[in-house]
Amino acid sequence: MAGWLRRHGGLIPYLFLLPGGLWLVVFFVLPMLTMASVALQEGTLGTGFRLTFNVGIFPEVLGRYSEQFLRSVLYALVVTGLTLAIGYPMAYTIAFRGGRYKNVLLLLVILPFFTSFIIRTISWKFILADQGFLLGTLKEIGILDDGFRLLATPIAVISGITYNYLPFVVLPLYVALEKIDYKLVEAATDLYASRRQAFLRVTLPLSMSGVFAGSLLAFIPAAGDYINAELLGGTRETTMIGNVVQTLYLTNNDYPQASAISLILMLGLIGGVLLYTRALRGQELTV
Amino acid sequence: MRRLKQRPMRDQSRDNQIERAIARAFNNGGRYSRRAFLRRAGRGAVVAGGALTLPSILAACGIRPGASGSAAPSAAGMVGGGDTAGNLVFANWPLYIDQDEETGESPTLQQFTEATEIEVDYQEAIQDNQEFFGTIQPALSAGQDTAWDMIVPTDWMVGKMIGLGYLEQFDVAASVPNFVANAADKYKNPSYDADNLHSVPWQSGITGIAYNPELTGRELTSFADLLDPEFEGKIGMFSEVRDALSLALLHNGVQPKDATEEEVRAAAAVLEEQAPLVRGYYGNEYAQELANGSLAATMAWSGDVFQLQFDNPDLRFIVPEAGGILWIDNLTIPKEAKHPNDALAFMDFVFQPEIAAQITEYVNYICPVPAAQEIIRAHAQEATDEGDQETAEYLTSVADSELVFPSDEMLSNLHSYKVLSEEEEALWNELYQEITQG
Repeated sequence: MAGWLRRHGGLIPYLFLLPGGLWLVVFFVLPMLTMASVALQEGTLGTGFRLTFNVGIFPEVLGRYSEQFLRSVLYALVVTGLTLAIGYPMAYTIAFRGGRYKNVLLLLVILPFFTSFIIRTISWKFILADQGFLLGTLKEIGILDDGFRLLATPIAVISGITYNYLPFVVLPLYVALEKIDYKLVEAATDLYASRRQAFLRVTLPLSMSGVFAGSLLAFIPAAGDYINAELLGGTRETTMIGNVVQTLYLTNNDYPQASAISLILMLGLIGGVLLYTRALRGQELTV
Repeated sequence: MRRLKQRPMRDQSRDNQIERAIARAFNNGGRYSRRAFLRRAGRGAVVAGGALTLPSILAACGIRPGASGSAAPSAAGMVGGGDTAGNLVFANWPLYIDQDEETGESPTLQQFTEATEIEVDYQEAIQDNQEFFGTIQPALSAGQDTAWDMIVPTDWMVGKMIGLGYLEQFDVAASVPNFVANAADKYKNPSYDADNLHSVPWQSGITGIAYNPELTGRELTSFADLLDPEFEGKIGMFSEVRDALSLALLHNGVQPKDATEEEVRAAAAVLEEQAPLVRGYYGNEYAQELANGSLAATMAWSGDVFQLQFDNPDLRFIVPEAGGILWIDNLTIPKEAKHPNDALAFMDFVFQPEIAAQITEYVNYICPVPAAQEIIRAHAQEATDEGDQETAEYLTSVADSELVFPSDEMLSNLHSYKVLSEEEEALWNELYQEITQG
């Protein structure tokens, strides 16, 4: 074995890649191919599905569910913006002002992950319930109208997704900010930059890798999310594309349409990410 | 000794509510959610990510047809009349049989084994009709044994499986005499299975309307109340297409089982018009929304409301004037089952009123054996005599509840689901998806 390795030393890196590669082939590439194949089949559960290369299904579902596609992208964009707006100051404070509490604060950021996110989302239902302790109290003291509600509205869905993905944004932002040498900022101020200029021209550009990673980590899962839309929404006006896929797969047993939508969503996200990467090219993106 | 499950206290704290909601969402028994919630989860939209089980994924990859078109049930092969094998593999829904608090064993199953020397391999394997069907369908379509001797599909699924030739036939009079002697007439010769040739009922329940009088400000009587703009944003509907469209069909004066395509489209139009008033389309989580006051009026399953009333006695459940749905879960034997005689022995065993009462005291669904009511009353009296007031009160509430023992008047206004052909099922799904998801 040792002799073989010495003679074929160049193969070692490939051997290292083997476990991960096999894993991806079995659990990513094969399911992807199956999904593509199912999307191109026609039939029903009773009569069976046959591969007919029905490519017409892609424009069909795109047209039929355009509203839900657009809503998902829109929600995901809003969520990304919100998580950045909330997460950046958080990460900044922890990285530069956290001092000896840094680790405690970071722990607090990831603490919610110690509970299942479904439990956390359900807890939101209690907090936001029409007669719950938040709205119920505000209604009682007359600040809110009796008919006011948050649940089953886009606000609840977007808030829920934002909350669930916030830590995914804070952590990469923190990593990016934390490794900035604060002396650079001091140097900028020494050279008569205002604090604002120092932030905009030193700190922000140096943290762009975190912004990039964080926004992707929020946007991609948010676009495919269906748990929040189901638990906090549940109405026609909050239906996201993930809910449609769920219904098509599990209720209607329309596997081709569900697969076609999943493929479109995935390819759309890949395309979007490539464009985004290109737009940010030239920035410092190495982590 | 008869041991009853713990009932929730009436003045329970918010913490308990949260605990219950979580147990409910996870489809996983908490102290307070022994029954309905769990089983219900499969009927409506699936709440959590757990929905994508391996079987459903495999089913998604499956290319095999369901059954050959000629798979009509053969008149020849009936099962029954032979010796039992001493073994029974039984797939049921979670928490759908009595269970001893301390040992976790089912007294009914133990007594059955004592009486018949048949060992039962009891598994809570059914979470959802479609999904479970997906797990046994490959074996059935290949003419192979599914590994189950007895399964518990809901009525419409029984109809579908009969159509595909997937269920064994038996002579109910000869093999299950206790059914003939003790079951209510409503359960005999049902529309989905003429002459009970393939099935006997296990438990059943009602799809109707529940409301909170405090929020509606008046008593409700009909499905039209769910179309009232006065309750805008406070109305709940089911995401389950069969339940929702069936109630709308009844509202239009149409028997669901006779509905034509035109009538189904008309019913869908009613629901489409209602959509702007609807707060949400729910699976089993509607019960939580009703309990916390977010919903004033909603479609509901009787079993859930029976339990919610322990927390909030004001909640009401009605069968709409134009009619509600009586759904029935059935004991059936899948084709090629290894121990059909043992399954028949079990069916006969549970139709003894004493056994039926024992199960009903635990699961609180509608009992197909009317005589069980008096037996539960007698048990309540025994508990009173023993000084166990809590148990006595609980048993009395079970025996007195119209949701467990519906009156004849209530039963006469209950109807069955339509058994849908594949084309009809696709149409119903498509129509309803447009209403619920756009």
